[in-house]
Amino acid sequence: MLIQLKGGHIVDPVNERDEIGDLWIENDRIVAPPQGKVADEVYDVSGQIVMAGAIDIHSHIAGGNVNCARLLLPEKHQNFLETPAILPLSTAKWSTFETGTIYASMGFTTVIEPAIEPHQAMQAHFELSDIPIIDKGMLTVLGNDDFLLSLLRDKEGPSAVADYLGSALAASSGLGVKCINAGGSEAFKYNARTFSLDDVVPFYELTSRQIVEGLQRAVEDLKIPHPLHLHCNNLGIPGNVATALATIEAARGERLHFAHLQFYAYGAEGGHGFSSAAAELAAAVNANKNVTIDVGQVMFKQTVTVSCDSLRQYNGSAMGNPKKSIIIDGDSNGGGIVPYLYRENDFANAVQWICGLELFLLVDDPWRVFFTTDHPNGAPFTTYPDVFALILSRDARNEAIARLPPEAVAVTTVPSIAREYTLREIAIMTRASPARLLGLRDRGHLGVGSLADVAVYTPGPDIAKMFRFAHLVFKDGDLVVRDGRVTHYRWGRTLKLNPDYDKAIDRRLSGYYDRHFGNSRELFSVHERLLPRPDIFQEVACGR
Amino acid sequence: MGEVRIDGKPAALSAAVKRAAEILSAARLPVVAGLGTDVAGTRAAILLAEKLRGAYDHIHAARIFADLDVVRQAGLMITTPNEARLRADVYLFVGRDLSKIWPDMIARLEPAAVPPFDLKHEPRKLIWVAPGRGGKIEGLTVHTVESGDVQATLASLRARVAGHAVHAAKSVLHELDEAADILRQARFGVAIWGGDELDSLAVETLYGLIVDLNKTTRFTGLPLGAGANASGVVQTSGWMTGFPVRTSFGRGFPEHDTWRFDSTRLIESGEADAALWINAYGRETPSWKKAVPLVALARGQASFAHEPQVVIEIGQPGKDHDGAEFSLETTSIVGRFAEAKSELPSVADIIGEISKQIEGNA
Repeated sequence: MLIQLKGGHIVDPVNERDEIGDLWIENDRIVAPPQGKVADEVYDVSGQIVMAGAIDIHSHIAGGNVNCARLLLPEKHQNFLETPAILPLSTAKWSTFETGTIYASMGFTTVIEPAIEPHQAMQAHFELSDIPIIDKGMLTVLGNDDFLLSLLRDKEGPSAVADYLGSALAASSGLGVKCINAGGSEAFKYNARTFSLDDVVPFYELTSRQIVEGLQRAVEDLKIPHPLHLHCNNLGIPGNVATALATIEAARGERLHFAHLQFYAYGAEGGHGFSSAAAELAAAVNANKNVTIDVGQVMFKQTVTVSCDSLRQYNGSAMGNPKKSIIIDGDSNGGGIVPYLYRENDFANAVQWICGLELFLLVDDPWRVFFTTDHPNGAPFTTYPDVFALILSRDARNEAIARLPPEAVAVTTVPSIAREYTLREIAIMTRASPARLLGLRDRGHLGVGSLADVAVYTPGPDIAKMFRFAHLVFKDGDLVVRDGRVTHYRWGRTLKLNPDYDKAIDRRLSGYYDRHFGNSRELFSVHERLLPRPDIFQEVACGR
Repeated sequence: MGEVRIDGKPAALSAAVKRAAEILSAARLPVVAGLGTDVAGTRAAILLAEKLRGAYDHIHAARIFADLDVVRQAGLMITTPNEARLRADVYLFVGRDLSKIWPDMIARLEPAAVPPFDLKHEPRKLIWVAPGRGGKIEGLTVHTVESGDVQATLASLRARVAGHAVHAAKSVLHELDEAADILRQARFGVAIWGGDELDSLAVETLYGLIVDLNKTTRFTGLPLGAGANASGVVQTSGWMTGFPVRTSFGRGFPEHDTWRFDSTRLIESGEADAALWINAYGRETPSWKKAVPLVALARGQASFAHEPQVVIEIGQPGKDHDGAEFSLETTSIVGRFAEAKSELPSVADIIGEISKQIEGNA
């Protein structure tokens, strides 16, 4: 099948295209304009924007914690439409099926679940494989696990740590390593109620900083494309910008990804003892080229916070709305699920909303700032189109700011910021850069030979509408969305690494599980042949 | 090949599948009941229920919602058996049937062992509320709290932990206070509960006790849940529809209601006019009395009050065929591999065939 997208405005920063032109697709790939061949299908996309399919690097779309959130809040995702499902389970709100459907209709074709504990990986892969259309991947959570902490405490050296990481990634079929409040969940089990970068984990006598350093080094030693993906200590606490700044320092110039940095952009100034320190934090990000961040934008909506940071979630449960929560002391991290309502007229929520926008607008380099709401923690991913409008249009932003409590706006810098993102910058932030960050060479751009994941948008005065309902979306060259509606399911792949490590650690780990857990390690493994379809995984190469 | 019957007479599998598809398609509101199956079987059953615009339920729904209703009203604090075993300095067992629900419990939780992650490295303490005939564990003194009413006893215990007065006989009060002291001094305590004696109110009271204890120390829970892969079915249902079992597609989209979509009530009231019974884990059969057109995917020798129109014998996940199910050992979904595969089909196999037949008829 040869497809021609004719006369669109192609925005492809990787290949330096920002021009009116044609795009050719043959089967699942982008191809050069073929000589003397006629397209089987021609789409006139003049006046439309043509980009690669978008990639979301941090969205909680699967795993036991997300699923517990579904079960905790049946009243928040009821359907009332009396329209039968055209596609299986597409009317099931917040189901894996709906997740894939909505992402695709917005032009997203790859989404990464950022927090799966190794012992919960089998379920996570079941869930991921029930998300239609898009490709998926997941990050394996380490940093509160006894085996790792023991290796670090006993100073077994970087190669042992790297081997362990490699083995844990292989067993869980992960695409990268996530660390969540390093040592914090472990300390919480010993009744710590606060935990910062230089606090010591009882029993192991290690600081959070030492754990982060150990993991960061191991990720580099294994040549994992994605840098260590870090959820810092002290999330959500007034004055926590100090923690974020200290952690940027602690990276020592080495690659480090800071997840949902908005939740760490808080000062303690002003009458409420809560202010935006996003400008200071953005300056530090600008100055440290080794650092990448994703925003974790807050939007004013009912949502639920889902995190493996059990200490933080326990502390936050008092603020839950509705007031109910699940707190899990897991085998390593565990987690917490706390519903939350972000309100426009709430001082603190308004400051949080502004902090996110300040990070978007004050971090200069679109290659190092990523577009997220930390779904569903800052807001559901369904609000992405509204977030695009806020960063693309100063008018839209000012309109929204005018609705906020003035005293909240007063403790921020947002009114003075004139920047508006260009479409080229959007294409970098949501396509080109995520692919580079994750080591996905086959996507994020429209160069010849790349995967034919393509999104076509109809520009107009309503920016949110443009991004909510893509005009056309192709996944692997298959037209799956027309005018914002998914026409049929196809089943994407799950991306994973196959890291190279010394397999001797596997034998040692087998003994450790037998002894320590009284269970075979095999019991926790991901078994591809039990998943619903064959050939679900696609390997992503290590090495940079 | 296992047993296949149509109207009580031996039949070919293809004929049985055809007849099953006819019965289920003809129904106004068919209900998928029992649903004792692995992840693959659950996926297939829910997709079929949507196609039929029917409802689905689980054989152990009462036990599932005794816990889950509390989660949805108040919340939950839980841990894993691994963490309990490695870390807990205090166990609070609640209910007499714990070892019946989980035969490996004592071996797995090792109450008499010293928890290696406990900083003080002292022998564990164990309180057992309403132990029934249980309450004895080798190598360990068990502090038993006898109870004729588990919820009332837990409420009294919670009150004593909080320092409130309770009205009780001196000997009972002594037992309660001894237990309350142990709970308050726990460093990482774990409550383990299960069984039919614990209704929602009892579970909510226990949750309240756990929440109270966390104001000063760490305490969490380990519900033992129910059999027939109840937790695995609920998890699978959760990601597929957003809801647990007792969900219906009658109006074309999933609606969840624990009373409306109780399979027994649906059948007895006449609202549901056909049923697909699934039980790959045991020989239990429907508890409803009314005779409705019934397709049963059952283990061999399962005996029914009314002979179903169609019976297809199926295998057990992890024994007859490979499968994934929720494991109490790990409190996660794990792979279970058949040591010696049999020729018995899986639930997913048969539902796949029935679904194909229905699509072919449409």
